[in-house]
Amino acid sequence: MQILIVEDETSLMESMVSYLELEGFRCEKAADYHTAVCVLDKHDYICMLIDLNLPGGDGLELVKLARENQSESGIIIISARNTIEQRVEGLESGADDYLVKPFHLSELVARVHSVARRTRMKGGEVLSFGVISVIPEDHTCFVNNKQVELTRKELDMLMFLMANRNRVVTKESIADYLWGEYGGGYGSYDFVYTHLKNLRRKLQEAGSPDYVQNIYGIGYKFSLDQSP
Amino acid sequence: MKLLTKSTLLIATLSLFLFFFMGVIFFQVLKNMSISDLNRELADLKEIVVGYLEEYKADEFNSLPGIDSLSVQAIGRTDQAVEVLGDTLMYDSKDGQFKTFRYIQFETESKEEFYQVRIFKSTNPTDKLVERVTLLMTLMVILFLAGIFILNRFIFASLWSDFFVAIEKLKQFETTKEPVILGEQDIEEFDELKKVLEVMTRRLAKDYRDLKEYTDHTTHELQTPLAVIKSKTELLIQSKNLGAAEMKCLQAINTSVNQLSRLNSTLALITRIENRQFTEKEEIKLTGLLDRHLELLEEHIDLRGIKVDKLYHDRDMVMFMDQGLADLLVANLLKNAIVHNIEGGCIILETHPGSLQIKNDGPPLRFSQEELFTRFVRDTRRSGNFGLGLSLVKKVCDTYNFSIDYTYDKQQHTFTVNLTD
Repeated sequence: MQILIVEDETSLMESMVSYLELEGFRCEKAADYHTAVCVLDKHDYICMLIDLNLPGGDGLELVKLARENQSESGIIIISARNTIEQRVEGLESGADDYLVKPFHLSELVARVHSVARRTRMKGGEVLSFGVISVIPEDHTCFVNNKQVELTRKELDMLMFLMANRNRVVTKESIADYLWGEYGGGYGSYDFVYTHLKNLRRKLQEAGSPDYVQNIYGIGYKFSLDQSP
Repeated sequence: MKLLTKSTLLIATLSLFLFFFMGVIFFQVLKNMSISDLNRELADLKEIVVGYLEEYKADEFNSLPGIDSLSVQAIGRTDQAVEVLGDTLMYDSKDGQFKTFRYIQFETESKEEFYQVRIFKSTNPTDKLVERVTLLMTLMVILFLAGIFILNRFIFASLWSDFFVAIEKLKQFETTKEPVILGEQDIEEFDELKKVLEVMTRRLAKDYRDLKEYTDHTTHELQTPLAVIKSKTELLIQSKNLGAAEMKCLQAINTSVNQLSRLNSTLALITRIENRQFTEKEEIKLTGLLDRHLELLEEHIDLRGIKVDKLYHDRDMVMFMDQGLADLLVANLLKNAIVHNIEGGCIILETHPGSLQIKNDGPPLRFSQEELFTRFVRDTRRSGNFGLGLSLVKKVCDTYNFSIDYTYDKQQHTFTVNLTD
């Protein structure tokens, strides 16, 4: 579970490394273009996180190079460049996903999981958590092997929580991940709560324990361990 | 009123007054001159008549050449030699009309006899002459005025052409924001004006560019520190040994940093619109666009129990614009209608040929209507809002020359976007 992180801002790099290591990933770090090129072949990376503004070279070139060298790896561009053209350019150069700075670490983890799933597992994989299992490819969810009908949003939310298991995820990060630009600025994040409430109700009705904990109004934690 | 119309009107009224008074004076002078001519003629005739009376008897002549009518009456003796000049009306049996005559009346003595003589001279020919001359003069004046008008137009066009060209160039400044070069001509005042304007637009353009660059750089440079704060906060939240107080602090930081990053990206967006970086033109169906956004906003609409009424009078309305800007326009108008709505309120979407109307319930504005589309003007009752949504809408409208109007009536806000430029 190796991840390559190419980012010149050390503080941000450290945050990403800490968070990803909590998730059980091991991280290879590179702070500039040349270091990145050197460590490109060092491991068989599950995912590469590449910043576009790098000392010593253009991140897009690095993306192309990485794509040639490790076709099996997922590549996520993390950049402050935010126009549609720049996103398209990034994806066309071979990246699987494009994350705009500033981002939520929980969102980064969810995307790393999703990209890794798409490139490595070629879909068909089953995610499980306690009595819950999800087949992302078919958009289906099972509790104790019995199917539960979830809406698309509820399923995405469940997968987001599963990717960030045992972590506190903020309401804002859930809103940004699921609703994108339509998440923030509407006065409150109560709609996240409403959606989560529905999800919890459906799962509990199907016989699952309530894995979701409220954390001081800041967010939620999805965990098998029921003590806060 | 246009400058040309104004100057023409001024010239017209002034010259009409002038010519009217001049005409009256001219007519009087001409009239007086003709009368004094007649008087002189009558005085000459008087000499002739007196001469005749020396030679002939009074009843031996009743007409003399040059005299229209003559009466000679023998009277008793008189001391006064009174001479009277005057006008009178006499019946002309030839035409069957009364006509004006000038006469001279005097008394004279001849061969021990006294006569009262009246010599009449028709004023008709001189009156006719005065009339004709006056008519001719009027005609000349009219021709003169017409000439002045036409000349004025030509002179105006050639003198002021430079001025109008300059105005047209200045109008383009609004869209291009480039310094205006107006050039020089040989009219000193205009050249001076143009020089001042050139300096002004150069400075305006520079200020505008500086401000844009500043926003551009700031928003870009802010992104990395924001990313750091955001990620560090998220990491901190994961700590096992935090109490309620610390969590409360972290929540406040988290909320603020999220607001800040949203503000930052919106400002960056406005700058990009101002820089005209959205240039694609696509055919976008308005009703489809509205429906898609309503679906994306479903959660927010449901949460506040808002009812949406769709009154699509024009179902096939198509716009040619950048997809990104079209999304921004509709998303922000709808967002505004949701956020400033009342609990359980109503949103009415109407499409008409060439226009879109979005109405929503809500309390009246707390600031003046003129400020509505200005940045950072917002309802302070709501936190977490920056008052940038409507200024984004305005920017998009400006890009495509759409006009947007706002009205408030019966607890209802109405935004009307005219989608034709």
